[in-house]
Amino acid sequence: MTPAIRRLAMLVLSIMAAVLSAWMFESWLSVGKPSPFAHTRQGHLLGWLGLGLTLLVFVYPVKKRLNRNRRWPRDWFRVHMVAGVMGPLVILLHSGAHLHALVPLFALASMAFVVVSGIIGQGVHYVAVRTLNARRRQLHDEGLSDEDIESHLRRMAAQEEAFRLWQSVHAPVTLMFLAFTVMHVMGALYFGGF
Amino acid sequence: MHDLPLPRTVVPLVSVATAVLVLWVAWESLRDPETLWAPGAVSRYHAAVAGCSSCHTPFRGPMTAQCVLCHSEPRFAAEAGPWTAAFHADLLRREQSCLACHTEHRGKLGSLTAANPHGDWIFLGTGTSSCLTCHEFEPVFGRRPMVLNNEVVLRLMAKGGGAHRPGQMASCTTCHTAGRRSE
Repeated sequence: MTPAIRRLAMLVLSIMAAVLSAWMFESWLSVGKPSPFAHTRQGHLLGWLGLGLTLLVFVYPVKKRLNRNRRWPRDWFRVHMVAGVMGPLVILLHSGAHLHALVPLFALASMAFVVVSGIIGQGVHYVAVRTLNARRRQLHDEGLSDEDIESHLRRMAAQEEAFRLWQSVHAPVTLMFLAFTVMHVMGALYFGGF
Repeated sequence: MHDLPLPRTVVPLVSVATAVLVLWVAWESLRDPETLWAPGAVSRYHAAVAGCSSCHTPFRGPMTAQCVLCHSEPRFAAEAGPWTAAFHADLLRREQSCLACHTEHRGKLGSLTAANPHGDWIFLGTGTSSCLTCHEFEPVFGRRPMVLNNEVVLRLMAKGGGAHRPGQMASCTTCHTAGRRSE
């Protein structure tokens, strides 16, 4: 098993473990109760909390696009990553494994798409940057000129960028996630009341 | 970390896919709203009810006022047993919420009524015939009811050598098996 395959397998297993843990915790909270936890007031409050955390994710892309000429908002990127994992985990507790209605199911599926593509994208980027830096040091030690090193690395960077197809999924599917989340919230308020 | 410009087709493609799905949801909501919006299938008891608005008031949820349009006192008297009819007639007169004990969307074979955690012979033990003798319910299904501070409750708590205390009362069958007094 190559290191890349091993990392991918670890990633898939971690995501599956996180989803199963959240749903099993919700099931445990529901044992012996007249309604599943996800359908109680506390379950609904978790939904609002998860939504709030998930909305924090959008500060980073908004800041990045509004302030193109300023420094890359590193701290907001950290918030983007942490809230992008914590928010969906809270949402999983809110949903439980009660997958009946299609509208929240679409919202959940598109959220999963965005989160998984984001995690994979960050993983790809992290590995690529580490590989580039290691290669830069190696070429430097071999005595290549700065110009040759840059030319060499540009080819590697181009390959890495070609691999970053995840961005084609990550950002646009957010639109679908937002549309179905708004529909789910509106539907829950319409049928369930405030 | 910088973004690559996305291929030109991606955003329009996802926008069209989202729009198509939203339109499909809107169309299907008219034909089969339960599949799209409900947390579970409606029970066999309400299978003949036409439309969500028979029970749900927009932005207020299911309300007792909607339930009693069908589940009226005359209907209880005509269709239910004498105890059930009298019990519900009393609740209707007291304007109690149906949602304290009843729910829906638990599946076609699901029960609509909350189980009595004490078991039915709590009535035998206390000489009462209604949960409302000892409890005040909130109009939300699944919420723990408040225990009243009245003579029946105080008498029951005085029994049982201290075992009948708040937090210990729900599962009578832990100590009282097969209807026998525990040792």
